[in-house]
Amino acid sequence: MITDSPRFEPFSPDPHAVISESGEWIAPFDLDLDDDTLRGMYRNLVLARLIDERLVRLQRLGKTSFVAPGAGHEGAQVGIAHAIEIGRDWLYPYYRDTGLVAAIGWPLEKLFGQMLATRADPARGRQMPAHPGSRALNVFTVASPIASHVPPAVGTALSQKIAGKGDVTVCTFGDGATSEGDWHAGVNFAGAQGAPIVFACENNRYAISVDLNHQTGSGGIAAKAHAYGMPGYLVDGMDVLACYYVMREVVANAREGLGPALVEMAVYRYGPHSSADDDSRYRPAEEVAAWRLRDPIARLRRFLERRSLWGDEAEEGLRSEIAGELDEAVAAAEAAGPQDVDTLFEDVFAELPAHLERQRERYRLARRAAGEDG
Amino acid sequence: MAVQTFVQTVARTLMQEMRRDDRVVVLGQDVGKRGGVFLATEGLFDAFGPDRVIDTPLSEAAIIGAAIGMAVHGLRPVAEVQFSDYVFPGFDQLVSQAAKLRYRSGGSFHAPMVVRMPAGGGVKGGHHHSQNPETHFVHTPGLQVVYPSTPRDAQGTLRTAMRGEDPVVFLEPKRLYRAVKEEVSDDPDATLPVGKGVLRREGDDVVLISYGASMAETVQAAAALAQQGIEADVIDLRWLLPWDEELVLERVARVGRVVLVSEAPRTANLVSEVAATIAEEILDMLEAPPVRVTGFDTPYPYAQDRAYLPGVNRILYAVQQVLEY
Repeated sequence: MITDSPRFEPFSPDPHAVISESGEWIAPFDLDLDDDTLRGMYRNLVLARLIDERLVRLQRLGKTSFVAPGAGHEGAQVGIAHAIEIGRDWLYPYYRDTGLVAAIGWPLEKLFGQMLATRADPARGRQMPAHPGSRALNVFTVASPIASHVPPAVGTALSQKIAGKGDVTVCTFGDGATSEGDWHAGVNFAGAQGAPIVFACENNRYAISVDLNHQTGSGGIAAKAHAYGMPGYLVDGMDVLACYYVMREVVANAREGLGPALVEMAVYRYGPHSSADDDSRYRPAEEVAAWRLRDPIARLRRFLERRSLWGDEAEEGLRSEIAGELDEAVAAAEAAGPQDVDTLFEDVFAELPAHLERQRERYRLARRAAGEDG
Repeated sequence: MAVQTFVQTVARTLMQEMRRDDRVVVLGQDVGKRGGVFLATEGLFDAFGPDRVIDTPLSEAAIIGAAIGMAVHGLRPVAEVQFSDYVFPGFDQLVSQAAKLRYRSGGSFHAPMVVRMPAGGGVKGGHHHSQNPETHFVHTPGLQVVYPSTPRDAQGTLRTAMRGEDPVVFLEPKRLYRAVKEEVSDDPDATLPVGKGVLRREGDDVVLISYGASMAETVQAAAALAQQGIEADVIDLRWLLPWDEELVLERVARVGRVVLVSEAPRTANLVSEVAATIAEEILDMLEAPPVRVTGFDTPYPYAQDRAYLPGVNRILYAVQQVLEY
């Protein structure tokens, strides 16, 4: 039971925020995070942004085929990462959550291995970039079909409920996902069973080009929670501490057996939907610029500076330290080398069945006949 | 030895496996207090309670999807879809999530689970209570598909499916649910190997290959042929993915004539794949082209419920064709 912070009101008309745009603490309760934790959050925000920038560069160099930019989502993602017990709780992320998986400590070599589909990818190069997953960290491997991970996330939460150890699941998605049948199926089942799960929507107001008003008549995402018998919270997603505190509260509630919650984090995607998108066709540059002024990294930095926890020197040191880590991780991921062609037949089933064994064998013969293989 | 129907065998095998392994949970619509609309989960709710026998919302996506997340977390879920005709709202969960999970995660995650569903026609159900959707599943790499035809095979294959490490679509021939009683094994560990078919009858004149509900008509056709002095080899595939190529090729090569029977629509029917494999591998051993007797490429009709099925006469007509070729 959290006693050192007040409860957040569900279904509030305005988003919950705890620090102002200028970096002042505006919450009606005392901050209870130590300086190292605050600096750790800041580091994770910057890490997410620099990974994003690096990926865009790698894509332009032709080293990876696809990028789903996350810049603008960092406050939500880092807030979630710090609110769960890593390795205990389960995370069902979606494809824009690179910053989230980095913030919970997924090794960068693996992260870039996945992006480059080399042998450094624990998923053996099976998926396009931006589809992370980690058994060790309980991160369910991302699948492209939108909201298809929501019912499985509920299944994991039900299993956690049956186990009775107080573990919880956090399932993230964008605003577009809330229109899918699978989303309704999952959220409805969680509500009926009181499953220990938090549904966290990173609402950036666009599903590729389709804006929120074309997505739903609900007026927002949090309001939908009413219908499923769970609290819905609207949070300023550009305020990492607000995201953290609201998530901390709903995760604690789920842990205590109080059931699921839906959290809507109002964020913005600065970049296009993906490296294959042209966002200038559907949204004005002024809108993007206005949201950039509300940047979650700059906001937390102002907050830290007011408390004399940060400055130019620290910033410079952090950025060069992370840049070095990224250089190293990319180099290691590339050095791991490409996947063997033959591995494409593995991991379909626990054991290779006879028909796949024969397909593999005949493919080898065909390659040999064509002189493609030694 | 217990003598029981197909559907009783399903319920009793589930009961035995739930006793043996407390990770096994059953979920679906009406599987709890009602014991399933066909009584395939009868007695489980009273024995194991609502944590292990879960009445779900009316949502196949929720049922199959939740089973995936449970399996990933260490449970052994057996999901029921009330009719295979209603699997399609949960089809995305099977195709996009369950089937590809091991592959897309490089083996980091997998979903050992069974999705049971009554299938097939001959019950006056029209096209939304009679279909045979197995082609969709065998065409989805990562799913095992089984469609047994007898109580004893249901017992062995269900147990194998529940103890395996892969997602299994378990199709149950609902028109045979109570058609026959049979002795089943008392051995609580009686299983049947993945991907192995069985020879129901031996003969030298023609090989009949089928599976699931159509086995009933196929066996009847073989008996009718025997009256005419024609001896048929009869293969029950049981497992549709993987299917028993070794048994099929060995028997067909020996006899040289083959008729394949399935009540699913003809185009891209599993038996078309079996026939293509026969042609590709042992064409020179054949005395006649393989002939398929299948459902039609129409939605399943209501008034012509029985006419749609590959009945004994259609099978006999096909046998005549391959014998006279």
